[in-house]
Formats: sequence, C-alpha cells, structure tokens
Amino acid sequence: MLSRIIVLGILIAWTNGLLMAADTVVSTPEKEAFFESKIRPLLVENCIKCHGEKSAKGGLRLDSKPGWLKGGDAGEVIVPGQPDESALIKAVRYADKELQMPPKKKLADHEIALLVEWVKQGAIDPRTQAPGSGPTKSADAWAETFRKRLDWWSLKPLQNPQPPQVADREWSQKPVDRFIRASLDASGIKPAPVAGPEVLLRRLSFVLTGLPPAPAQRKAFLEHWQTNPGRAYENLVDQMLASPHFGERFARHWMDSVRYTDTYGYEWDNPAKGSHEYRDYLIRAFNSDIGFDQFLKEQLAGDLLEKPRINTATGTNESLIGTMFYHLGEHRHGSSLDFNGIHQEMVNNKVDAFSKVFLATTVACARCHDHKLEAVSQRDYYALGAVFMTPRWTSRSIDTPDKNALAIAALKDLRSRIRLELAGRWSQFKPTTELLKPILAQKNATALTIDQIAYPIERLTKAEGGMEASWNALANEWKNARQARIEANKAFKVLTDFQTPEIPQGWVTEGEGMAHGWVPDGTPLVALEGNSAIARLLPRGYHTQALSSKLPGALRMPPLETVPGQFSSLKLAGGEYGGYLTSDSNAFQGESVVFLKETQPQWRMFADKPMKNGVTRVTVEFSTASLNPNFPPRTGLAGGLPNNDLGYDKRSWLSITGIVTHDTAGAPQETLDSFSTLYDPIAPAPKTADELNLRLSKWLSGAVSRWCDNTIKTGDLQILDWLMSNKLLPNQSDSGDALAKLVADYRRIEQGIAFPRTSNGMDERQTVRAGLHFNSRGNVDSLGELVQPDFLQIFAGQNDVAKSPGSGRLELAQSLIEPGHPLTSRVYVNRIWGWIFGSGLVNTPDNFGRLGDKPAHPLLLDWLARDFVDHGWSTKRFIRELVMTQAFRQSGQAGPIALDLDPSNRLFHHFPTRRMEAESIRDSMLAVSGRLDPALYGRPINPPRAVEDGSKRLFSGPVDGNGRRSLYMTMSIMAPPAFLSTFDLPDLKLPNGRRNVTSVPTQALVMLNDPLTNQLAQHWAKRLMNDRQTTPEGRISSMFIEAVGREPEADEVQRWTDAARSFATSPDIMSDQSAWAQLAHSMFNTQEFIHFR
Amino acid sequence: MLNRTDSQCPGRVANAITRRGFLQSSSAGFGWLALQGLFSTQAQAAHHFPAKAKNIIFCFMDGGPSHVDTFDYKPMLKKHEGKPIGTQAYSKRSQASDPGRLWLGSPWKFEKRGQSGLWVSDLFPNIARVADHLCVVKSMVGELPLHGQSNLLMHTGRSIGLAPSFGAWVTYGLGTENQNLPGYVVLNNDWVPNGGLENFGSSFLPASYQATMMRAKGTPVDNIAPHDAPAIQRRKLALLAGQDTSFAGQSSDKHGIESAIKNYETAFRMQTTVPEVADIRNEPTYIHKLYGTDSADEHQRYYATQALRARRLVEAGVRFVEITCPSFDNNNSPWDQHSHLKQNHEKNARVTEQSVAALITDLHQRGLLDETIVLWAGEMGRTPHTGAINATSGRDHHVNGFTLFMAGGGFKPGISYGETDEFGNGAVVNPVSVHDIHATILHQMGIDHERLTFRHGGRDQRLTDVEGVVLKELLSDV
Repeated sequence: MLSRIIVLGILIAWTNGLLMAADTVVSTPEKEAFFESKIRPLLVENCIKCHGEKSAKGGLRLDSKPGWLKGGDAGEVIVPGQPDESALIKAVRYADKELQMPPKKKLADHEIALLVEWVKQGAIDPRTQAPGSGPTKSADAWAETFRKRLDWWSLKPLQNPQPPQVADREWSQKPVDRFIRASLDASGIKPAPVAGPEVLLRRLSFVLTGLPPAPAQRKAFLEHWQTNPGRAYENLVDQMLASPHFGERFARHWMDSVRYTDTYGYEWDNPAKGSHEYRDYLIRAFNSDIGFDQFLKEQLAGDLLEKPRINTATGTNESLIGTMFYHLGEHRHGSSLDFNGIHQEMVNNKVDAFSKVFLATTVACARCHDHKLEAVSQRDYYALGAVFMTPRWTSRSIDTPDKNALAIAALKDLRSRIRLELAGRWSQFKPTTELLKPILAQKNATALTIDQIAYPIERLTKAEGGMEASWNALANEWKNARQARIEANKAFKVLTDFQTPEIPQGWVTEGEGMAHGWVPDGTPLVALEGNSAIARLLPRGYHTQALSSKLPGALRMPPLETVPGQFSSLKLAGGEYGGYLTSDSNAFQGESVVFLKETQPQWRMFADKPMKNGVTRVTVEFSTASLNPNFPPRTGLAGGLPNNDLGYDKRSWLSITGIVTHDTAGAPQETLDSFSTLYDPIAPAPKTADELNLRLSKWLSGAVSRWCDNTIKTGDLQILDWLMSNKLLPNQSDSGDALAKLVADYRRIEQGIAFPRTSNGMDERQTVRAGLHFNSRGNVDSLGELVQPDFLQIFAGQNDVAKSPGSGRLELAQSLIEPGHPLTSRVYVNRIWGWIFGSGLVNTPDNFGRLGDKPAHPLLLDWLARDFVDHGWSTKRFIRELVMTQAFRQSGQAGPIALDLDPSNRLFHHFPTRRMEAESIRDSMLAVSGRLDPALYGRPINPPRAVEDGSKRLFSGPVDGNGRRSLYMTMSIMAPPAFLSTFDLPDLKLPNGRRNVTSVPTQALVMLNDPLTNQLAQHWAKRLMNDRQTTPEGRISSMFIEAVGREPEADEVQRWTDAARSFATSPDIMSDQSAWAQLAHSMFNTQEFIHFR
Repeated sequence: MLNRTDSQCPGRVANAITRRGFLQSSSAGFGWLALQGLFSTQAQAAHHFPAKAKNIIFCFMDGGPSHVDTFDYKPMLKKHEGKPIGTQAYSKRSQASDPGRLWLGSPWKFEKRGQSGLWVSDLFPNIARVADHLCVVKSMVGELPLHGQSNLLMHTGRSIGLAPSFGAWVTYGLGTENQNLPGYVVLNNDWVPNGGLENFGSSFLPASYQATMMRAKGTPVDNIAPHDAPAIQRRKLALLAGQDTSFAGQSSDKHGIESAIKNYETAFRMQTTVPEVADIRNEPTYIHKLYGTDSADEHQRYYATQALRARRLVEAGVRFVEITCPSFDNNNSPWDQHSHLKQNHEKNARVTEQSVAALITDLHQRGLLDETIVLWAGEMGRTPHTGAINATSGRDHHVNGFTLFMAGGGFKPGISYGETDEFGNGAVVNPVSVHDIHATILHQMGIDHERLTFRHGGRDQRLTDVEGVVLKELLSDV
C-alpha cells in the first residue's frame, strides 16, 4: 500500500517533467496525420461538446494541447506515452464506475484502441492554441466589420413614411400613386397616358392568371366599360382575383423563387416525393389567400404548428406540406460517411435557398469565410445549417388523421366479428390421430427441428422403445434447449416485445398504418382476395397492414449511436416495398435501402457506425413505400419495380414485433414457448399411444380454444399457424354464409380507402439539436467546432432560435413574421411588385445586400411593407391595391423626356411591353386553340421528348401534354421541358426571383416547326370550322380577338385575308381547314401573341 | 437611381450587348436581352492576347476511362496483381480503397509509340498511331469520385454546377464565326450525362450561349426541319414580317421585337445550314473509312458520324463542339466499368477510338489541327485496384490521378506531363486540376481565364472560379 502511494506521489511530482518529456516526443508527419485523421474527429465527435470552448466540464478542455496539458479539476488526464496511466484512457475504457466517458455511451472498441495508440505514440497534438482562447485579433476585426456592415438600408427598421402630397390629385388617389407621381414630378417626368380597355384586359389577364382573356369575358368587360370604366375595371380585377387560375399563376411565381422541381436530378433524376403536392398546396394557398405570415410559417415549420391548417374539403393537413420547401433542389446521392462532402454540399443549397427566398440575403457565401460584403459571418452559415439539419428529412403523411376514421372503425368492427365467426367454427376443432397422420407423413421430406410443432408429434408417434422414456427424453431436450436460449437471450436488452402498444422512448411513428397497426397475439389478418377468410394470424406488435395494406406507416428510430449498446435489432417483416432506409446526417438520397420480402418477422441487426467526415448521427427508418422519402429509389435498386413506376398508389406493408439492443452481434432466439403446454411438468408422461394421442390432441386443441376464448398464451400462435398452414382449421369465405358476408363487407370497405398521400417534409419529434461542424475555409476535411443551431447574428436578441429545445425552425419563422422585421415584408412585397409590374422596386429580388440593387423607391417600399403587414399579410388584397393604381393602368407610351431621364423605367413612368413567360406562351396556345384543360392540380405530366431514357426516368409525354397547363409539366432537373427552356425557363437548381428574357433563333424554330405549335394550330383550325362565321374577314376578326384580345385594323384584315387566300387549296376557303391551320399557326408566331402590353 | 454607372461586363471579349448595357441604351424596362452572341460576327474582335487556336472539339469519355489501361503504364500492377493494396494505398478520392482490395494489372499490353515514344496500350490501336500529336497529362486530380460532381466539374468548373459550361464561356468570349450556326454544339448520342443537361447549359449566362444539341440519329437538331413546304413557310414569314413590324411600332420595346423578327430570318437560314453541315453523305469514301462511319457496329457508326460532323462544324466556324459517347448497355455512364472492365472498355474503345484518331488525322491533313484543340477526357480515372480478381473484374471511381490528352491548337505534340505513383494510385509529379486545363485551353484561344468574367450574384464569375494556372509547359510556343 505504502509503495503505491509513494509511486503515485512520484507520478504527481513528475507530472511537469513528464509533460516536458512529452513535448520532446518527436512529432512526425505520420503521427500528425494520425492525429488529424483519427484522433481529432474522435475528440470533436465525442468530447469537445462538454470539454471545449462552450463548456469545460470538470474544468477540462480537450480542444487544444494546452487544454489537456493543464488538465481538469481532478488533475492531469493524459500521460503521454502511458495510456494505462492516463485518466482519459481509463475513463473511455469505463474501467472506473465513477468516471465513464463519454457518459452517455461507451466508445466503440476500435475507437478506444485509437486513443490508446495516440497516447502511446506520445499524444502528438498540433493544436497549439485553444479555439476562442481570449479574443483574437481577427475576432475583434470581425466585430468591427460587422458593426459597420449593419449600416445598410435593408437592415434598418421599416420607416413610416406618409404618402407625399402631389399636384395631380385625380391621378394619385391611391397612396402608391402618390409616391410614384411625386418622384416622377420631382424628376420632371410625366406618366404615360392611361391604357385602353383592351390593353388593360389582356394585361390583367396575363398578370393575374397567366392566360389570355376569353372572348365572352372581353365582350362583357367592354360593354361595362362603355357605361362605367372605373367600375368595369374594378369588377374585372375582382373577377380575375377570384379565378382559380390566379392561384396557378402565383404558385408558378413562387415555384421560381423556391427552385421547384419534380425530381432530384443528378445521376438518376429520382422523383421528388411530394413536389406536386407542394405545388398544389401553393395553388390553394394563393387562391384562398392564407396570409403570408401563415404561408411562411408552414414552409419553415409547418410540422411544428400547434394548430396545423386542416383542409376538410380535401382531407389534407396543409401545414405539413409546406415543409416540402426544404427538400426542393438537387439531391446528391450517397453519404458523407462514404465520400466526405455530400451532405455539406446539400446544406449549402438549403441555406442558399432559404436565405435568398425569405431574406434576399446571400448567406451561402459565408460557407468558407465570413461574408466579404455583408454582415454575415461564417459561424452564421453553420448555425443556420444546424437549424435545418436538426430535424429528420423524411416523408410525412399529409392526409388528415381522421380521414379514414369511419372506414377504419368499420374494419375493426368487422375484424372482431369475423374473429367471432371463426371462433364459433374453430371451437369445434378436435385434432385426431387420423387428422394428423397424413400431415406427418408428408413432413418426412425434411428433417424437423426442435422449433417445429411437428417435431414432438413425429418423434413420439414414431417412438421406438418405451413411450415414457421417449417422452421424458424429449421433455428434457426441450427443457434444456429452452433454458439455454433463455440464458443466451440475457445478452439482449428488450426495449419492447409489444405486449402493449407503447413505443420505446425516443422512437417515433407516422401514419395510420402505425396508428391502427398494433395488435395482440393472434389477431386475424383478413384476406383481401381469394376464398380464404383470413390470410393468417398476426403475432403481437405493429403491422401497418393489420387493417389495410393501403395505410401508410413508419417507425423512426433515434440515432443509432444514442441507443444504448453497439447493436439494435428489430424483428421485422414486410413486403411490396416496405423496408428500411439508413441515413447518415440526413443524407439526401440515401441508397442503403432494404426492401423486405418476408411474411414471418425476422431479426435484423443495426450496428453503430463510427462517425466521421462531420456526420453527427446515423438513423434508420422503417416504412411502407409511401412514407419512404427516397421511394422509388434510383432505378435498379427496388427489385422488380418498373422504371416508369413512380411509386404512386402502392400497397405496401411492414411488421415490427420486437426491439432489442445488445453489445455483441447476434439475434435473440425463440424460447420454444409453444411446447410449454405439451410438456406439462405436473401431468405424468404418457405411457401408451392412446395417452399420447390424448396429450397431443389436448395440446393442439388447447391453443385453439384459448384463441377462441381470447386467452391466448405466448407460443399458442405458432401452433395455430401450423394448424392453419395444414388446413386443419376452417377458413373458407366463399360459402355464402355469415362469415363470407362479413369478409365481403370487409373487402368492400377496404377497397374504398384511398391510397395515402405523402410528401417529403420534416419530422422533428423526438429529435435532439444537432450541431453542424464548422469547416475551416469551407474545407470539408478540416473538421472544426460543432456549431449549434442559431439564427444570423444580425438578428441576435430578436429571435429564440438558440433557446429552442429543437431545431428552432418555429422560433425562426416566428421571428421573421414579427411586424417590424426589416426584411421579410420588404422582400415579399418587392417580389409581388416585380410579378405585377415586370420589375421590382429592388430589381434584384433575391439580393437586398450590397451586391444587389438599391430600391428605386425606398419610401414606397417601406410604406408597402407596412401596409401589407397592417392588412394581415393578405397577398390578394395587396395585389388588388397594386393593380388598382394608375401606375399599373398606364399605357406603354413613354414620353421622350422619360426615356431620356429614366431609360430603364425605374420610376415606373409607363407600363412596358412584356414578353410572356414560357408557361404563358404555351398556355395561351392551349387556350386559344381550345385544347386547354382548365383542371387544377394533379400529378406532373411528362413533356414530349425526342429520346427516352428509362434508367434516368426521362420519359416522354403527349405533345400537347393533354392540354394541361405548363406548371403541371414534369420539372426534371436533368432535362427540363424543352419548349419551356427555349423561352427562358430558369435554372431549376437556383432560387429565381426574376426571369431572363432572351431572344434567340431557337425560339423562332420552335414556334415554326415544333409539333406542339403545329398540332395546336390544327386543333384551333378544326374548331374554327364550326364557328358560324361566313366570311374570311369575320373569322380573322374573331381569331384576333381570341389570340391578341383586340379587333384587327382594316389593313390587318386585308393582310390576313390575302394570306388566307394564298394558303387555300380549295375554292371554298371557309371550309379549307388546312388554310386556317396555316393562319392559326401564323397567329401563334406573331410577336403580339407572345407579348402583352 | 437615374444614370446608373454600372460598368459593362468587363469580361466579355467580343463586343456583345450585356444586359445592363442594353438597359442603359434601350427603353425597355423589364430586361430584354437582345443578345446576339449566338450569331455574333465579332469573333476574334478583341482577344486578350493572340490566339493559337480557334476551335475546340471535346471528345468526352463519359464514365471515366481507366488511366492505367490506356496511357499510364504501371508494370507494378501486373507484378503485384492479386496482392492486397494495404493501408498505404488509402485514398479518400477513390470510391473504394479498403486495405483488402487487390491490385489489378492491366489486361492490355502497353507499347511505346511513334517518334515520341509515348506509352499507349493496345486498347487504343488507332490513337496509338497518332501518339506523336498527343499532349498527354497523367496527373489529373479531381474533387469527388462520383459521376455527377465530376462531370459538372469537368464541364462547368464547379462540382456543384450552377455555372455556365465550358462551351458557353468560350462562345460568350469569342462568339461564332458563322452567322447561321450556333457557336456551341453538342454532338450527342442520345444520352443525358450524369449531372444533367446542365453540363451543356449557360446557367447565368444568357440562354444564347447554351449548347445546341445535335443528335446522331434522325433529325439532327430539334425543329430544324421545316414543318411547312418552302412556299408556305415563305408566305408565312412575309405575313409575320408585316404584322410584327407594325406591332414593334406600338410596343414600348422596339429592340426586343426587332431582334425577335431578325431571329425568324436567322432561323429560316438555319433550316438549310444546319442540315447541310450535318450531312456527311458527300464526304469521300476514304473519309468514311477513316472515321468508321461504315462500321457494322451501330454505336460506332453513330460516334463516327458525330466525329466527322465535328470536323465539318469547326470548318464551318463553330467554336466549341463536344461529342458524347453512346451508351450501349444499361450502364450508368458508358465508360463506367465497375465490372467487366475488359469486355466493356474494349467495346467503348471500339466505338470511339478509331474516330478520335481519324479526327486528329483528318484535321492534321487539312491543316486545321494547328487551330483546333482536340480534348480527350473522361470525368475521372479508375482505381488501379479491384474487389476481386476474376473474369468480370472491374475498376471503381478514382479522381486522385488520372489521364487526359490534348492534340493540336499549339499544345506540344508527343509529350507526357505529370506522373502518378508507381501504382497509378495518385498524382505525385505536377498534379493538375481541371481548372488548370480550362485555363490553359482558354489561353490558347487567346483568353485570359481571369479576365473572362460575367457579373452574377455580385461577383465577377469565371470558368475557373478562383483557381486555375496556365500550364505553359504544355504549350509549344509561349
């Protein structure tokens, strides 16, 4: 004892000496590389959260060499060269009950070995300076820079300007016009005269609905205009705003802003699950004018709202769909555990989209360094990334929870009645020797094992030697085997065996399949087809198909490394693309997907993975196809699934009947419970064949009668399964009796259940805040501090993001819709202004920073922002205000002074002629030709393609898209619809607040030669054949009205009539369809057709 | 906000109208881009310095041909074949490099070729014959060993994409020499490469700089065949001219409408020019034989047709031509031989290498090779090791040292630059990035890669991002 104390004393006395010695250990590049590649990540992942800059528990810091040299409150922790003497090593070995690190969970053996090796090598550590050790020069410099950069117009509070007084009060009745007119007056510019009714009609129609006005609407409007132009215009505005096509138009604008796509692009162009649901959600949101505050909240945190917005008409949880916003954008396949850099690229894309769309700020520029121009630090980038990376990126069931409530209640009721009916039949069951004999006879093909029901039957009925001895031998064999298995199973910690429906703490379920999926042992699974009443009896646990395989279900486990034990195992069955998906740090197109193809649940084991490359957690989710965020996966991964099957309307199912954790590999074994009732220890062994038969019969029928009495015991189910599989229990549903009727009812109701609707979104239930590793200089291999979720430093103190127990998304959303927020309302009203007037007050709608434009009318912008918020964030009302202004009603006739002083019309002195967006060009052709299908919503329709590529899911659709509006065409990142691309469909990977308008010869080629323009011209001509016009002049007139919203001038009538005659090949020009098709085609090709003024 | 003084884009070499510049001088308030870059006649108006080359033909070997089976001769692989690579060979830039993987020797024989003595394997018998024209770089280093990223890196200078393609930059910089042909043409073989059409896009550059796709089969270019009989089309165009001119008069945007009217005239001429240049039927028989357009293998026929068209296009003044590889099985990309290396590399070689060699020979014979750069490159190389050695062994993705070559355009002929280690596992001498290749090629076109910029997102963006070094060692006459 004494010697030990002395040794310890000497050790302590030597501490300094040893450490000096440590410093003299030669550091080699190999050793440093070892530290960098193995030890630094290990420390960062496991230790520095508690022993770093933010918190130094026990006074210890492990984020630098001086830190651990200093040691903790309890003394030194690393003795270089001597792992066994190092407290750190002892702690990670869990050698001492009092000091176990990390406290939550022991490191993996190989990780401990790495630390031991490191200490043995002399604990080479190049981190000579602690992060944040006293204010560094650069931190000071940033603080100073930051302060300066806050001085920027868009970060300042909204001003409260009063509309200026202007001389021309008649023109300036609307406050907006007073602002516009005042600045025009100040510049000596006169506004353009008011536009005529036909110009206004066409303008309003395209601006508000993206479609040309219908001739009947024109007629009514012009008549009204004759009597009261003001009222007529106002009425028209209200009509247009009430049109369902208004929602389509503004949804498409928003889709540009959030880079909407139907696919994830890249290598396989995987379908983006829920995109079209999100698109339809946008249409409904704009049409019902939900308020931008609500709209914003739903997209950022729709899954977290206390009261989600339920649409009873469609049975949809609208709020949940909003979070599909995050999933848009290109998704890289693979995981950072395989190749570092995958998730980091994706985070960048998400940060970029969010910050541009809602804040018009380029936060993504700060990935590698503090922003060069804005008040955005590199830390801001990672903090915001951490907000987005905390929740699970997964699929959500967007049906309202009670959508199928009636059907489900009916199915449950029918299932009990079917059970009762069966029980009535089964209670008569008497297994006689005669009944069993033929079955046993066929069993001889394969050797039976101790687990099988037939095993004792066969062994005993064929027993040679004494019956009693055989019995006892078998009973002993069973007892020993059972005992051994019970012993072996002690290595497994049972999280649940589903005696109750309770889900283990930290696990999360989704979907009606899970909500109604728990059953006790022996619940019948009603057969949905064929002449059996039930397919089988289910073991206790969760079965998403327990009532219907249409019901979706998912179970999401906590990150593997937070579940105690090196392994987690689940007993699983599933089919029809029910399976599980492993995601590393929310990898976006995780490919480690396994589809189950088994009816009887089997154990599947999930091992903890060593974290690396900045991955902070690995999670597994078990789901039916519709709730698998990456289903269908890339082509080829889902065996048997045709490439053109996009995963809609699928039956799919999953069973989970047990969850255990363990430290050694393996699976729990069955404990042979079925035989407990056979080898009754009290009853004496049978001595004769008759006695044996009686025992066997009692054993088998006991299980059946317990099932009938609802007193089923563990192990009975296996007996029942065996009896059913040998057709010993009646299970016919085709005899027209009461059972058959119940089964038929069940099937009918099940048929009536709609396939589930799901969308990718966020699930934050039971997730813990996840930090994001700072990457020095943006280098993904240079792993730094784990940055915790927070909002931009600019808004420090104005939000509770950092205080949130979760990701902080809801707090983020709430802070953005505070009425005084300097960016949210400014950015949004500017977008709308741009959509209405053709260019924004700030002409860079995605950038309000130093790299963007400054507002043409700063006071007007602020007035609008305030007005918008004051009126409840109503988009429709706001748009109405804008289109009711005189500024909007101006003609395109700018005066020479105006053009000289303000050539780019930043002061809005006229309404410029606008080339339509690609969608409107195509939609106009559909509308005018009569081919337009005005139906709203729906799954995307493939664009026509010259060549298909099934392996990339690039399929071709009908030339005219079946008349569907362009926003319903599949927006494929890999190969967007060619017609739309020709007319400046924006880059689908980038948020886009303002479209380019280019003029290239390809556009002329498309309009002249594309099958679409020609086909629609034919369609129009065919319609013209029945138009009751009697003269070419009359028909041309009506064509002008349909196509460009006005009567032709006399010289135009002449020009087109001449053309009609020259195209005609028969004397009866009015019935010469092909001539009129040429005319129709020419009309599509006029510049006026693709412009509005 | 009046009289804003934003400078015109400094990077544009030829004098095209930029968006901002246009706005200053036009009455259009909403952003008409009447850019005529596609048919700019001002090519070569203002190079940064004298150009050595006028055109580029990029033979893109989609999927990543194996460097150690083509140009980068590594006898050590054969010697150690079947031995585990061990921990030393770990590379995070290989798709797989577990210590248990096995070195795999090349199934093809290597020989020194021509006067230059460049190593070329038997996989490329025809390319071997033009070895003395090749400037081979054996020390290419990419970023991430996945197709999508690497394709985008090779094509746009960014592994995340979101930037104009190489061809778009070149046409933006130099325009085209033929008014009736686009400046940037991709001779496609019905294949959207990983990363998508973005590989050929113009991103934030105006749409006029994106590639025009020319197909190997059927109508070469979408909508190029007139739908109407000539007389009808002419009548239609006359009708439109009258109609549109009067509309332009009423429009607040004369420029935009007028440029659209002009586009109809150009489009009309393109309907003739494009099929003419694409039509190889009148080429002499020896040329067909040289390229392999007479091959029994349909994929080779398509590739040969495209290679021959590439020569015709550069003759006609197209700046940047890319030829993609045909895909002949259900592989993710043609050269992506994770298995069946021998069988499928041979098939890819059979389809492409005769035509590539023919292109070099043909250009040389016509005196065009001096002003045309032929770039041959995949997006990556392949691992010198494999999971198991058997009849179906393959090689996986590898960006830590791979090979590409240039021919013509003032690149030193018959040289090899840079080296990988003795196993071909990583670049060890003179590592070269994709940016360096872009910078060097632009240099030969007379463009300073640091000055070819376009202002976007508040930055002067460029093809080489913030990197790229001109590799003067590769150039004949600097």
